Amino acid sequence: MTKRILSAAAIVVAMFGVTACSTGGGDTASAADTIMIGSVHPLSGGLAGVGGLMNDGAKLAIEDINAAGGIESLDGALLELIDGDSQGSAETGQSEAQRLISAGAVALVGTYQSDVTQNVASVAERAKVPLVIDVAVDDKILSQGYQYSFRIQPDASSMGQSGANELVAMAAASDLTINTVSYIHIEGAFGGSVFEAFKAEAEGLGITVAKEVTYSGTNFSDATTQVADALTVNPDVIVVTGYFPDNLLVAQAVKAMSPDIKAVYGIASGAFDDSSFPTSAGEAASGILSANYHYSATSDRAADIRTRFEAKYGKAMETSAMLSYQAVEVIAAGLEEGASADPVELRDAISGLSLEDPLLAFKGPIEFDERGQNKNASVIVMQVQDGVIQQVYPIDFATADLVFPTGQ
Amino acid sequence: MTKVDTSRRAVAPRAPRTSQSGARRQYMYLTIGLAVFFFLPFVLPESAQPVAVRTLIFAIMAVGWNLMSGYGGMFSFGHAAFFGVGAYTVAFLLTEYGISPWISMIVGAILSAGVGVLIAYMCLRYKLAGSYFALATFAFAQMFLLIAQGAEFLNKTEGINIPLLPQESWVMMQFDQNSYYYYWIPLGLLAIVVAVSIYYVNSRAGQFTQAIRDDAIAAESLGINVMRYRLITVALSCAITAIAGAYYTQYYLFVGPEQAFGLHVSIDALIPAVIGGMGTIWGPLVGAAVMGPLSEVIAGLLRNPPPFLEFLQGRSGLDVAVYAVLLIAIVVFMPKGIFGTIRDRWRK
Repeated sequence: MTKRILSAAAIVVAMFGVTACSTGGGDTASAADTIMIGSVHPLSGGLAGVGGLMNDGAKLAIEDINAAGGIESLDGALLELIDGDSQGSAETGQSEAQRLISAGAVALVGTYQSDVTQNVASVAERAKVPLVIDVAVDDKILSQGYQYSFRIQPDASSMGQSGANELVAMAAASDLTINTVSYIHIEGAFGGSVFEAFKAEAEGLGITVAKEVTYSGTNFSDATTQVADALTVNPDVIVVTGYFPDNLLVAQAVKAMSPDIKAVYGIASGAFDDSSFPTSAGEAASGILSANYHYSATSDRAADIRTRFEAKYGKAMETSAMLSYQAVEVIAAGLEEGASADPVELRDAISGLSLEDPLLAFKGPIEFDERGQNKNASVIVMQVQDGVIQQVYPIDFATADLVFPTGQ
Repeated sequence: MTKVDTSRRAVAPRAPRTSQSGARRQYMYLTIGLAVFFFLPFVLPESAQPVAVRTLIFAIMAVGWNLMSGYGGMFSFGHAAFFGVGAYTVAFLLTEYGISPWISMIVGAILSAGVGVLIAYMCLRYKLAGSYFALATFAFAQMFLLIAQGAEFLNKTEGINIPLLPQESWVMMQFDQNSYYYYWIPLGLLAIVVAVSIYYVNSRAGQFTQAIRDDAIAAESLGINVMRYRLITVALSCAITAIAGAYYTQYYLFVGPEQAFGLHVSIDALIPAVIGGMGTIWGPLVGAAVMGPLSEVIAGLLRNPPPFLEFLQGRSGLDVAVYAVLLIAIVVFMPKGIFGTIRDRWRK
C-alpha cells in the first residue's frame, strides 16, 4: 500500500517536471524601472469567474500601456501587475492588499465586492497608497472621508436616481405615461440604497412607487411569489434590482405570468445586461430594459479592446473587466501626469485628472470629486432585442432603437 | 481522547499533586513560548505580519472553542455567535459612544458569556447532546446572523466601520498599518487566555468538567452538579471567543454580519483545535500555527513556484484545493490531531 502511494507520488512529481520543461520559464523578475500596481479580486471561491475576468482586464491594460512605450514622463517606465486573491472575503482582501503594498505596489485596483472594498480602502488610506475602485457600488465606501480611494463607476444612489430619470425620459420619447411602478429588489445595502434613491427621484417626477417587494439573496430559488405580489397593484412597470441568479428568476417568473405591463426595467441589475443573459433566459429575456453602467458599445477603442480580450482569453469581456482596464488606465494617467511613482504624489495627480475618451458610456471625462467619486459616471439603458443586448438610451450611445412598451 | 487519566482524576475530591506540577510545567512552556514568539515580527517579512495576526486570532478562538468542546465535550458548531457578539460589541460601543475597545472587549466577553450560558442552558435543559447539540448551536449562530442582517442599529448588511484616527492611539488601539503592536496585543491576549485555560483545566471545576465529559451520569452520581460545571465552562469558552472577535474588529476596522456570524467563523474556530488536538492545552495553538499560514504559504508558492511547479503559476483556486487535501490527510492520518498524535507516540 505504502509502496503504491510512493510510486504514485513519484509519477506525479515526474509529470510536474516534464510539464515544467515543456512550458519553459516565465519572466517574474522585476527591473528597477518597473512600477508595480496591485490588483485585488476574488480569484478563487464563488466569484472566481468574474474576478478572473477583471484581473485579465487589468493585465491587458498593463500590456497595452507597456506596448505603447510605458510611462513617458518617467522615461518610459514599464508597469507590472501583481495579483492578490481576496477569495471573496474581506479579511483576506485586507491582508492581500497589505501584502501587495509591502511588495512595492504604488497603487491598487479592485475589488468587485463592497465589503472587501471597504477593508482594502482602509488599508490604502493607512498606507497612503491610492486605490482605484473598478467595481463596488455601495455609497458608504466613499463616505468615510478617505483621501486615497477613487471610484470610476456610479454609486448606488446615483444609479437609482438616474434610473428614475431615464425611465421618465424614455416614456416621454415613446409618448407613454408611467403612473405607477412596483419595485422588486434584493435585501441589504445594495438593493435598499438603489431603491431609496429611485423612490425619492421618481416621486418628484410624478411616478408612484405603489409596491416594494424584497427578497433575500440566499436560498432564493423561485420568484413567482414576489412577482405576483408586485403585480397586485397593476403597475405600469416592474423595476428590479439584484444579482444575476435572482434577477434571472424574476425575468422567468414574469414571462410565465405574462402580465399586462409596459416593461420590466432593471436598475443596476446584475443579470439583464450580462452577455450570457439572453441565452440563459431565452424568450423571457426579450425586451427587458436595464439601466446600468456599461462599456461603451459606440466607442471604437472599447470595441478594439473587447476583440483583443476575447481573442486572448477566449471569453467575452464583461463591463466589470472593462472597468478594471479603465482603472489601470486611470493609474497610468496619474503616473504620466504627476511624473512620479511616489504613491502620495500619484494620489494628488489622480485627484486632478480629467481623462477623456472613457471606455464606459459616461456623460463626460473621468474626473473625481472631493470624495473620490467620478463626477461624470452615469448609467445608460440597454435592451435585449433578438437575443442581443443593445444600447437604446440616451440616443448618443444608442446601437438600436428603443422598443417601449416592450411587448412581453 | 485522554479518557484514562482524566476519569481517574475526576474521582479524587481534589486535583492530585501530579496535576499541580503538570500545570507548573505548562505555565513554564507558555512563558518560553511567549518569549520566543515576542521576537517573531523582527524576523518576519512585513507582508507576513497580517498572516501572523490572523493566525493569533484563530488561535484565541480555538482555545475558546477547545474549552467547551474539547474539555467540556459539548461540541459547538456555532462559535460564530460568541465571536460575533464580541466583534459587534466593540464596533457598536466605539462608533456610538466612543468607548475604548479595551473596555468594550471586556463588556463583549461578559455579554458573550451570558449569551453562551443562555444558549447552552436551553440546549442542555432539553437534553440535547452530541450532534443535536452541535446543530442547535449552529442554528443559534445562524439566527444571530439573520438578526445582525436585519438590525437597524447594527447597520444591517452594511456592517460597521471603525473610523480611522489620524494618529496612533493606545486608548483606541489604533496604530500604523504595520505596527508591531498589532501583533503583540493578540499575542498577549493569547498568552492570557492560554494561562486561564491551564488554570481552569487543572482546577477543581475543570477536573469536574472533564469527568462530566467522560461520563455525565457517573459524575452526577458522585454529587457533581453537572449543569453548573458545564455552564461555567461554556461561559469561559464564550468569553475567550468574544475576545478574539473584539480584536478582530479592532484590527480589520470593519465588521459585517458575514464577518461576525458567518458559518466560516464557526469552522475557523473549530478547525485549529480539531487539527491540532482537541482536549489538549497546546493542540489549538499547534493547529492554528499550521492552519493560519497554510493557505497563505500555498498561495505564495503558487505565485512564485519553484521551477518544476512553474506551470501551476496563476492557476487560481488551486491553493484552496491543496488546503482541503492537506486537511483531509491530517484528519485521516492523525485522528487525534497533530499535537495529540505526537504526544501519544512520545509516551509510547
